[in-house]
Amino acid sequence: MATNPYIALILIPILVGLFNLVLPGLLKKILTFLGMALTGFLTLMLALDPDFFEWIFEVPYFGLDNLGTFALAGTQLLAFIILIFTLKGVDKRIEKSFFVLYPLTVGFCNGVILSDHMIAFMVFWGLSGVMLYLFNLLGRSKDAPESARKTFMLIGGSDACLILGFVMLGFAIPQPSWFITDINVDLTGSAAIVSFISLLIAALAKAGGFPLHTWVPSYAKEAPVESVALLPASLDKILGIFLLARIVTQLFQCPLLIHMVLISIGAVTVIAAVMMALVQHNGRELLGYHAVSQVGYMIIGVGSGSPIAFAGGLFHLINNAIYKSNLFLVLGSVEKQTGTNELDDLGGLGKNMPITLVMALIGAFSISGIPPFNGFFSKWLIYHGLLDMAREATAGYEIWLLACFILAIFGSALTLASFLKYLHTIFLGKRPKKYDKIREAPANQWLSTGLLSVLCVIFGLFALEIPLPKLILPILEENGMGSFDYGLYKSKLIFTMMGVGFVIGWIIYLLIRKVRLDDVYLGGMDALEKFRVTGTEFYQEIRRMKPLSTIYDWVEKKWLDLYALLGGASNTIARLFQKAHPGLLSLYLFYIVLGMLVLMFIRN
Amino acid sequence: MIGLKFLYLLGFMVATAVFGLIVGWVDRKLSARVQFRVGPPFLQNFNDFFKLMGKETILVRNGIHWLFITAPLAAFGMLVLISTMIWTALILHRGFGGDLIVVMYLMMIYSVALVLGGASTGNVYSSIGAGREIKLLLGDELVFIMICLVPVIQSNYTLRLDQIITHQAENGMVIGSVSGAIAFVLGLLCIQAKMALPPFHIPEAETELVEGPLMEYSGPLLAFWKLNHHMMYVAYPLLLVLLFFGGFKLQGIDILWAVLKYLLIVVLMILIKNTNPRVRIDTALNFFWRIAAPLGLAAVLLAVLGV
Repeated sequence: MATNPYIALILIPILVGLFNLVLPGLLKKILTFLGMALTGFLTLMLALDPDFFEWIFEVPYFGLDNLGTFALAGTQLLAFIILIFTLKGVDKRIEKSFFVLYPLTVGFCNGVILSDHMIAFMVFWGLSGVMLYLFNLLGRSKDAPESARKTFMLIGGSDACLILGFVMLGFAIPQPSWFITDINVDLTGSAAIVSFISLLIAALAKAGGFPLHTWVPSYAKEAPVESVALLPASLDKILGIFLLARIVTQLFQCPLLIHMVLISIGAVTVIAAVMMALVQHNGRELLGYHAVSQVGYMIIGVGSGSPIAFAGGLFHLINNAIYKSNLFLVLGSVEKQTGTNELDDLGGLGKNMPITLVMALIGAFSISGIPPFNGFFSKWLIYHGLLDMAREATAGYEIWLLACFILAIFGSALTLASFLKYLHTIFLGKRPKKYDKIREAPANQWLSTGLLSVLCVIFGLFALEIPLPKLILPILEENGMGSFDYGLYKSKLIFTMMGVGFVIGWIIYLLIRKVRLDDVYLGGMDALEKFRVTGTEFYQEIRRMKPLSTIYDWVEKKWLDLYALLGGASNTIARLFQKAHPGLLSLYLFYIVLGMLVLMFIRN
Repeated sequence: MIGLKFLYLLGFMVATAVFGLIVGWVDRKLSARVQFRVGPPFLQNFNDFFKLMGKETILVRNGIHWLFITAPLAAFGMLVLISTMIWTALILHRGFGGDLIVVMYLMMIYSVALVLGGASTGNVYSSIGAGREIKLLLGDELVFIMICLVPVIQSNYTLRLDQIITHQAENGMVIGSVSGAIAFVLGLLCIQAKMALPPFHIPEAETELVEGPLMEYSGPLLAFWKLNHHMMYVAYPLLLVLLFFGGFKLQGIDILWAVLKYLLIVVLMILIKNTNPRVRIDTALNFFWRIAAPLGLAAVLLAVLGV
């Protein structure tokens, strides 16, 4: 029996009342107001049209295909595990607002994924961007409002692009339709191209692709760390790449050149962001830049149009969500214990926080693509896709693809380097005296990071059994991308065989060891704190190397930050207008006459 | 099936270790002759290894002990695995668990283990050495990716080690082409840097950093690091033999060829090692990124054009 929709009229007020029991003052009022408005609206519509409910419930605003199932599964998984982390340790002052925003965010993200109707899609997309802004405002530092504004400008601007994209899509299709899954157009004609570019900008800004990425590091630095793990590290990636996958597989038929452009955007994103990550001194910003860099792999994979790379790109999406939120949460644990996330101040905490260190190691290995963890598997699929494309391509495209391939693999080495520095600065090296009494993070925190780490290992070892066939291959089937051969990589075998050598080594060591404890040996010197090597200075040589140093200088002066550039440009224009309005009556009269003349000229 | 692979692994592990210690003797003897010394007896490396095995292990009181102990053993596990992968492709002409990309990524584990193990002690020299190790890895990795691409491109984009050999058996060795020759020379330098041999012994720099990351290691754990180094002497040159010299056959006169191919690379490495002073880390980075990388890219371009 179908549910009786009239129950909504009864349930809504009751639910509002129940919620108000626990909500703080202002929200109570807002919720009550919204509830009343909604019931009033429903009643009004019912009065006008008795079949209103039937209409509202029968129009398929919402739908779910395999791509949606995949994204939804990722969202729920991540949201649940991160919630475990937030159960204890969220800053008391923001706790109330945090737990209002958290479910709302998940709801809006689900809304985006489930919406088949364009309007619903745009509304939920925009709302999930608003959540970013509100979360960012919860940050305690004095830079938080500025960073919130930046995030909102870039994300809000990209929302405008989304709307423009959908509007232009209406001109590109022969029969107008509101439903995203109905649309499939060739990428020819200006309307289709404008629409494609606008939608692409929206997707890239959300996911954090180059050059629209600048909000990610500043958000990561200022917002509460749990929200960073939730939004830019996982849910926003899922939404952005979800839209990108929709664009390239369903909405448009893309020619090879477009795929090449997307691959190049991805490769540049990988390298540019990871080079920035290398020289960061703040842990959150470092992870933020890596969050951007990893998007590059997804753009390469999803945008390439090769089936194996497409599967790899989507797999990398879920893998990245897992290990990146793990890494942010680990940093959150460290931050909550020590009170800082400045890498220069930290060091040597591995002895105090061994469990957290293990989680950080697994996260770092996964993101750097060390076999047999999950990050390697998805990157490996993407590389295979690129080489498969190169085999078929003409010489020009072949070289182009190989250049992107080299950049992508090298990006992975840079990621490894950056994370070795990161691990060194937080967990290794000499521990400053003030951290002697630091304790391990509370159980709920390492339970959460532990679950994520276990997922890293499981997805790496059993990729061919669980995530690929259950979640990702159905998407390929649905889009008619056909099947592909996996190359030769047996993660379980690699793991076991590496384990054999390792275990044999351990047995030999345990059999013959004679252990003595002693202090560090520095050739007779005392191990003073002033000799401490934090690790943040590891890449000074790269920072100073020409021509990289020039680029780094530019970035530090914000010459390559799109937000700063647009802000500067609009300021300049505003100043021009200001100068044109000095308050002289004669000048204004002149403007009027000039305007009249122009009008008359046009009329003729 | 898995039992058979297990046997391969054990067999190749022992073979690589023994073979590595012998090559270590070649290295020491040849270096001694270059410097007009007599050099050690044949079994010296074995004696050193077993003597270290009997010494006590000194752990740093404030260090992270489990990481300190795990690091050399993990590197050992990785080296056993990649030598098995390379040997299986060379001798049995079969794939073992992974392709060239897997090998490239596995090779990075050595640096990871060195950095984590060294830095877990809190020793300042180890930390500085660890930082240099990563930078050196960054330097040679970019070029290494490019030179690995050359045989891949020439054998029609197969990444499987055994198929790269088969392709060369049918179409001639990769080193016979211009691109292959350039790539081989660069590959030799990459291997030199990956093994931290002079002139790239920057992370360990005995005279300034006192072995860098290895400084706090002693006893069996140091023995494992030494063994790892000797095993690299086997695995990495063999990888070059596989990629550029078309592997080898172990029948009749071909055995001699196989040994010669391998010895050629090793002797070249030892000679480079003995005739060059240590460079600074920024010089090394500059060399790899500014000079070697464009050359590597040129080799890739030539390979695409079929030269």
